[in-house]
Formats: sequence, structure tokens, C-alpha cells
Amino acid sequence: MKRILSVFLGVLTAIGGFVDIGDLVANALAGARFGLSLVWVTLLGVVGICLFAEMSGRVAAVTHRGTFDLIRERLGPRTGLLNLVASLLVTVLTFTAEIGGVALALELATSVNYLLFVPVVGFAVWLVIWRMKFSALENVFGLLGLALVVFAVALWQLGPDWGEFLHSIVAPRKPATEDLSTYLYYGVALFGAALTPYEVFFFSSGAVEERWTTKDIVTSRVNVFLGFPLGGLLSVAIAGCAAIVLMPKGIEVETLGQVGLPVAVAVGKLGLAVAILGFVAATFGAALETGLSTGYSMAQYFGWQWGKFVKPRQAARFHVVVLLALIAAVAGVLTTADPIKVTEYSIVFSAVALPLTYFPILVVANDPVYMGEHVNGRLSNVLGTLFLVIIGIVAVAAIPLMLITAAGQ
Amino acid sequence: MTDDDTFDLHLRLLDRQVVDPDGGMICKVDDVELEPADDGGFVVTALLSGPLALGPRLPGRLGRWTVALARRWAEEPHPAPRRIPFERVTELGSAVVVDRSRDDLRIARLEDWVRIHVIERIPGSRHESE
Repeated sequence: MKRILSVFLGVLTAIGGFVDIGDLVANALAGARFGLSLVWVTLLGVVGICLFAEMSGRVAAVTHRGTFDLIRERLGPRTGLLNLVASLLVTVLTFTAEIGGVALALELATSVNYLLFVPVVGFAVWLVIWRMKFSALENVFGLLGLALVVFAVALWQLGPDWGEFLHSIVAPRKPATEDLSTYLYYGVALFGAALTPYEVFFFSSGAVEERWTTKDIVTSRVNVFLGFPLGGLLSVAIAGCAAIVLMPKGIEVETLGQVGLPVAVAVGKLGLAVAILGFVAATFGAALETGLSTGYSMAQYFGWQWGKFVKPRQAARFHVVVLLALIAAVAGVLTTADPIKVTEYSIVFSAVALPLTYFPILVVANDPVYMGEHVNGRLSNVLGTLFLVIIGIVAVAAIPLMLITAAGQ
Repeated sequence: MTDDDTFDLHLRLLDRQVVDPDGGMICKVDDVELEPADDGGFVVTALLSGPLALGPRLPGRLGRWTVALARRWAEEPHPAPRRIPFERVTELGSAVVVDRSRDDLRIARLEDWVRIHVIERIPGSRHESE
């Protein structure tokens, strides 16, 4: 019974934890400009994150090693270091976007300028990382993030013709007014948002934090294969709402308020309040995850003690790295750079960095000496290799597309 | 390691995590100390770690600067990489297990420094998370 309950809790947290500021912004942006014609990218991204999160969870359960530990081991200190630097830059940029996202959500709720919230949010993030138990931190913010289900309710209330709705997802048609390069650029952004590398660092390190063993592989699979797709459905609902409400009126998403606007239209004020709660929880949860991920990846590369399963004084360097990343992120938001723009860049750069994370995972999951009977099966390998090709193409195309389209203008 | 079985140092020892018997993380195997054996091969006599071991394995200027900085910062007159004698190793798996706790080995000066000067000055550093 206890086991079923914990699996159920895990699935719920995965649903709430899947969506972060990147998914919120990218899906609303894409929905408002391209209707449902880019939803297939989100669905593809969900398949990818499921595939690789399952692998990294399994590797962590068998070896008790986090992803970056293995990246260094497999790629050696040189390539590993390059990988570390690139991953840290992307993760700190994402961390900045999440903190900005929390502050923007609080501005929506209170009409007080978001910059005033930034130091408070930064302190709160640090306090939770410093004091709160890992499982509590995961559960509380994952469950509160479920408030975003209000987007699914809103979509239901808006009552689109479901046949037509499904048809425009399955047979996507680029709007005639948009360039192909812009369409592809937003596709890259959505892909990056769905597969953000920190999700894998966090998932695998979390498995080590919770002392998973081979017995937990089933739990991990249920979490991944139920939780992430359901979280992906929330992303689709956000895009769908934007496509129905914002696109016909020609509203382009530039603020977090516009992301929530369809909910206000369809469900009313109370619905919007729930959506804002969901924004705060999802972005705050993701801020914790990205913040911890900076410490995880750095400590795992250098072999330092890390994690919240020990007292802070036993993992001093780990906590210092998290603290420095937090200071950098808070300072980044305080430069008054538009957090929505920061988010857009963070997901595109995530797309560039994807192969750095996903390639070593596939290699290790294939090592029979390491994994024993839990080594990758044929299906995982075929799909994993196929995805690595897609990820490679996306990574190479991201920067040129960004330059050609002037970042999707 | 039998004669007919070659041991791939790169694949199976270098860059692995070193842990103590309780799973406490100590360091990475940044490098190893080798000595020629009687049969013409080599035996690993110690695991080396820290910037003085890692630096030479990093490319060009970055590697040289890492070593130079570590030398400058060291207290001993002839700084050398931190060394864990190979006799201490009890298990070679996904991690390298040694038979001493990380506190006994006193392996990382940076860890001690940030603990004393930063982390322990923040309230709550000695408590488990709750």
C-alpha cells in the first residue's frame, strides 16, 4: 500500500514538475503564433525526455552515480570539463529565467513590480535548498504545480471542435503568414524546453539522493512513463488555449499575463488565480531543481561530496557552488533584462547543449560491465540512437536559425 | 588481474569516484601512481587527486594555470598531489571504495577552507534537512 502511494505521489510530482518557465513561455508563444502546428514537437520532446530520463534513472539506481560523475568518467577530464562549462552556463541561464518567472508570477498576483520580489525569491530558494528535506521539496512543489491542470480545464471550457483539434496536431500545417525558418526556430525552442538538460541531472541525482536501488527501477519507470507524458499534456493544453484565444486576435505572447489570459477568458478570475498559483509553484520548483543541478554537476565532475542527504557542513563546496549560482541568477534578473526573453534564449541554448548530456547517458546505459542485467535493451538503443541523431540536428540548427530569424522576430 | 586479462586503466579506474565505506564521497581518481613490476608490466601503487593531479591532464594553458595556482596556494614547500595508497582500496566497482573515512584522509583543503570560512558561519549548517 505504502509503495502504491509513493508511486502515485511520484507520478503526480512528475506531472507538476515537468512544466517550468521554458515550457510555459514556449508553448504559449508557439500556440499564439503557429496554432497547433508545432504541438508535434512537444510530443516528440516528451518521448525523448521519457527515453533518456528512464535511462538515467536506471543508471543511477544500478550504479548510485549521478550523470556528471559518469560524463567525466566516459569523456575524460578535457571533454568533460568543456561539457561542464557549457552545461553550467545553460543551467545558470535557466535558473535566472526561473527566478524571473517566480517574480513575474508574483507581480501578476499583486501588481507590485517584479524586481522588488527578486531578492525575496532568491532568499526563499536558498532557504529551501539549505533546510528542506529532498523528498519534501520535490513533493510540495510538484503537487502545487498540478494547479496548472486549470489550463486543461480552460481548454475544455473553450470547447474546440475536438476532431479538428486532433487533426491540426496530427497533420500540422504551418500558417501561410510565417516563414519556414521562424517555424523551425520555434520548433527548436519547444524541443529545448521539453528536454532541458537540468531535468536529467536532477532526475538522476535525485535518484541517488533518495538512495534508489535496482528495486526502484519499476517505480522510476512508472514515474517517467506516466508522469512526463501527463505533464506534456499540460504543455499541449497551454499551447491549445493560446491557439484558440490569442491567435485569432493576433496577440503575441510577451508577458506571463498573456500566458494566463486564455484561462481568465475561459474559467474566469478564480481560474486565473489557480493558474498563477501554478506558475509560482512550477517556476519555484524548477528554480530549486536548476539551482541544485549546478551544484550536482560541478561536485560530480570534481568528485566532491554533494547532496541534501548529508548535513550542509559535510558538503561545503557543493553548497557554495549552489550559493554562487543563486547570486549570479538573482543578479541576472536584477539587470532588468526581460525574463521572458531570457527564457527564450535559455531554451534555445538548452537545445544546443542537449547532445553533451544525452550522448554519455546512452553510452553508459549500454555498458554491460556497469549495468549487468539492467543494460539497455534493443528498443531503448534503437530509439535512443534515433533520438541522438534528432538531438544532433536540432543542436546544430539552433544557432543558425536564431541568427536567420533574429530570434524569431 | 590475471596475465591473460589486460586491465584498461582509462576505462576502469581513471576518473572514477572514490568513496569511503559508508558511501561518503572523497574525490575523483584524477591520476594514478604507477611503478614497474617484476614481470615487465606496471602496478598501480596509489590513487592521486586534487588540482596537482588533474591539472597536467587538462589542455594547455588551463592545465598549467591549474597547477601553478595549486602550487601557490599550497602550504608545504614541495606540494604534491594528494595520495591514497592502493592498499587502502577494498573494491573496484562503479566507484572505488577505500577503507578509511573521508575525515581521516583529509583529502581536500578547499573543502576544509570553505567549510570553516563560509558554510559553518551560516546558521543550520550542522543540522540535517527537515
